[in-house]
Amino acid sequence: MKRLCFLCTMLLAVAILFTACGTTGTTGTKGTSDTPGTAAPDGKSAAQGKPSEKVEVKLSTWAGSEEAAELQEIIDRLNKSSDTYIITQDSNPADYETRLTTQLSGNAGPDLFWVSASRGAQFAARGVMLDITDRLSKSGKPAANLDDYYDSAFGPFKVNGKIYALPWIMQPVVLYVNQDALDKAGVVIDENWNWDRFMEAAKKLTLDKNGKSLGESGFDKNNIVQWGFTLNGWPPVQMFIWQAGGEVIAEDFSSSPIDTPEALMGFNFYRELLDSGVVPSQQTIRDRGFDQMFRDGQVAMFMGGAADSLDTKVENFKCVVREVPAGPTGIKATFVDLLGMGINSKTKYPDVAFEALVDLAEEIHKWKVMPPRKSIGSAENMQSLHPERKDAFPAIVNSLEYSRPYRFYQDYPDWDTVFWNQLMDPIVNNNGKPEELVPKVKPLLDEALK
Amino acid sequence: MERYLATFGRWLLVPVCLFILGLGLYYLMRILRWDKQQATGLALISPWLFGFIGFTAIPIFYSLYLSFTDFSLFGKEKWVGFGNYIKLFTNDIEFWPSVRITLSYAVFTLPVGVFGSLLVALLINREIRGIRIFRTILYLTAILPDTAVAIIWRQLFNGESGLINFFLSLFGVNKIDWFGNPKYVLPAFVIISVWGIFGTNTIIFLAALKDVSKALYEAAEIDGAGGFKRFIHITIPQISSVILVQVVMSLIGSMQMFTVAQFLRPTTQAGLFMNQLVYTRGFTQLHMGEASAIAWVLFVIILVLTLLVFRTSPAWVHYETEVKDVKGIKNVR
Repeated sequence: MKRLCFLCTMLLAVAILFTACGTTGTTGTKGTSDTPGTAAPDGKSAAQGKPSEKVEVKLSTWAGSEEAAELQEIIDRLNKSSDTYIITQDSNPADYETRLTTQLSGNAGPDLFWVSASRGAQFAARGVMLDITDRLSKSGKPAANLDDYYDSAFGPFKVNGKIYALPWIMQPVVLYVNQDALDKAGVVIDENWNWDRFMEAAKKLTLDKNGKSLGESGFDKNNIVQWGFTLNGWPPVQMFIWQAGGEVIAEDFSSSPIDTPEALMGFNFYRELLDSGVVPSQQTIRDRGFDQMFRDGQVAMFMGGAADSLDTKVENFKCVVREVPAGPTGIKATFVDLLGMGINSKTKYPDVAFEALVDLAEEIHKWKVMPPRKSIGSAENMQSLHPERKDAFPAIVNSLEYSRPYRFYQDYPDWDTVFWNQLMDPIVNNNGKPEELVPKVKPLLDEALK
Repeated sequence: MERYLATFGRWLLVPVCLFILGLGLYYLMRILRWDKQQATGLALISPWLFGFIGFTAIPIFYSLYLSFTDFSLFGKEKWVGFGNYIKLFTNDIEFWPSVRITLSYAVFTLPVGVFGSLLVALLINREIRGIRIFRTILYLTAILPDTAVAIIWRQLFNGESGLINFFLSLFGVNKIDWFGNPKYVLPAFVIISVWGIFGTNTIIFLAALKDVSKALYEAAEIDGAGGFKRFIHITIPQISSVILVQVVMSLIGSMQMFTVAQFLRPTTQAGLFMNQLVYTRGFTQLHMGEASAIAWVLFVIILVLTLLVFRTSPAWVHYETEVKDVKGIKNVR
């Protein structure tokens, strides 16, 4: 009798424990379908994927409180108009990627999630995100029309021709300029804006406390009150290498051609900017704050993402947005940061999650600067959507035309760690010479690509 | 509301389950003819036991297993034998710099931490007016989160407006780029570690100092021993067992440096602390197998160093249950 009692107790405890600790699944709690949908990319699992009642679709984002509140307004609108889903937002700006990675690894991830380009490439290659290629081709919704996106928009989210996430923002690096300082120095940015002109302008804009510019006789380099430009590893050296016609990762991912004359030209221009006196010392940048120095009028030109919106945030002077300079042979290139939104490949309701993804992407494209789509991202349309930045859009939209992301691949952080720690950190922080470092680091980068 | 209630209900089930499991364990032990008192004791500690097994013991052994695989957090792991360890020791450009800075940090911070806190404990082990307020103020530093401490130190190390560079400038020292120049990264972290001497270590030493019998000091004073001699021949031997604990704990703590370094992000040329390397490999690069291998190497280093400390302890640690005969050979009572 005692044994029977013991056996029953243990069975009960184990059963309850499993019930209590078991997750309710990654998705909908209200759906009537008992059979979880498979992650089949063919979209034919509609019976499992589309329950008859509204399904809860969990969305994880890194949005801060203000951004999350704006996003919630969009979500509320979508939830009201949808018959199939209710999106619930879970915003975690602190350590978002670690949390998300852990959740997904433990099969407790959200249905939809924001993902950075680097993480997107890792997730896509590892089957963490749902392949949405076929669903996109079958959907008639505007945000699913691939032809409408910029060519570079899917780069990190595409593996072997399959698409794993929808990009929702493209942030090309643009040049924020203190127009008052430029006017005072007589600097004009026109269509011939290239490295030489940029360096010349940066020198003119580097002023000492007596108002003398760099290169002028009597210039006091120990009492600089305004620098022409600023660098601290950002903007990335890659864009200068692209402008010079070089690459850091070969198109077929077989090598890192950082020792080509073009790539070295890019590195050396970066070095020259650091050495020429137009850029504050790294210690000064660390002490005073990188973009803060621009906001405070201590730096005249600053390269930042289009969504940084410094032109609307700076109050002390007239801040305008311009394109970054072209390379010595006129090649235009700028780095673009991409952010995407993917579906958990283990979601219970892939079709509903896809519907929510496309609808949400459409709304976010209208909300954010810049959308990755040509139809929404024209200068005229953006000016009507964001009139407060109307002067900025011509430069931003032009930049998108020649912008490009890094060549992400599934182990890109391995390559990037070597690139930054062994090459760029010594160049930026320790006066490293590219011609000495590049031959040492290239084999390591090639090794990381294997 | 419905969702919150459902979640709350599930969470409520956890203690219920633990209770039932404890009960089950009790019956099991009774069936196995355990004494009633023993079975009750085991049942009462079973919640902790289950937690330890589930959240500590199993993950520890699982991480050991993972260190022999290429686990990337997603998908099936593949057994790679000693591949991760071989790569670390022979072909990993970040591993040895990481070991170097971690060990160097431990070597410098250990004496600072242990003797610094002993010094502070001696200072506050006096019965003067307002001493309790002093003790409270000193302990306040220990309750601040590490990130807040890091922010404070970042301000103190600010090249232009930081107090440390200002203080050094009074002696003609040029402004130091503490976190940009790899030469100064380790000294900066060692200086930051001084913060730790005011916390828990000091309180433990203070308790140990209070425990030293006053009769010993009085006897020594009668024999003409001065303050320094009393400290060397009475205080140190009397609290030597506490010093041993502090050395071991500080050693483990310093080898596990993470939060402050991760927050301050100095130049990578100085090397990442081993725990930072574990985090980067695991969660940024998604090489959990390699991350586990680094964690186990760190564990072995800490274990070896701790054993070394214990092996040397008979020479300098005095336990009250021990007496030494005239030849200095220890006997345990």
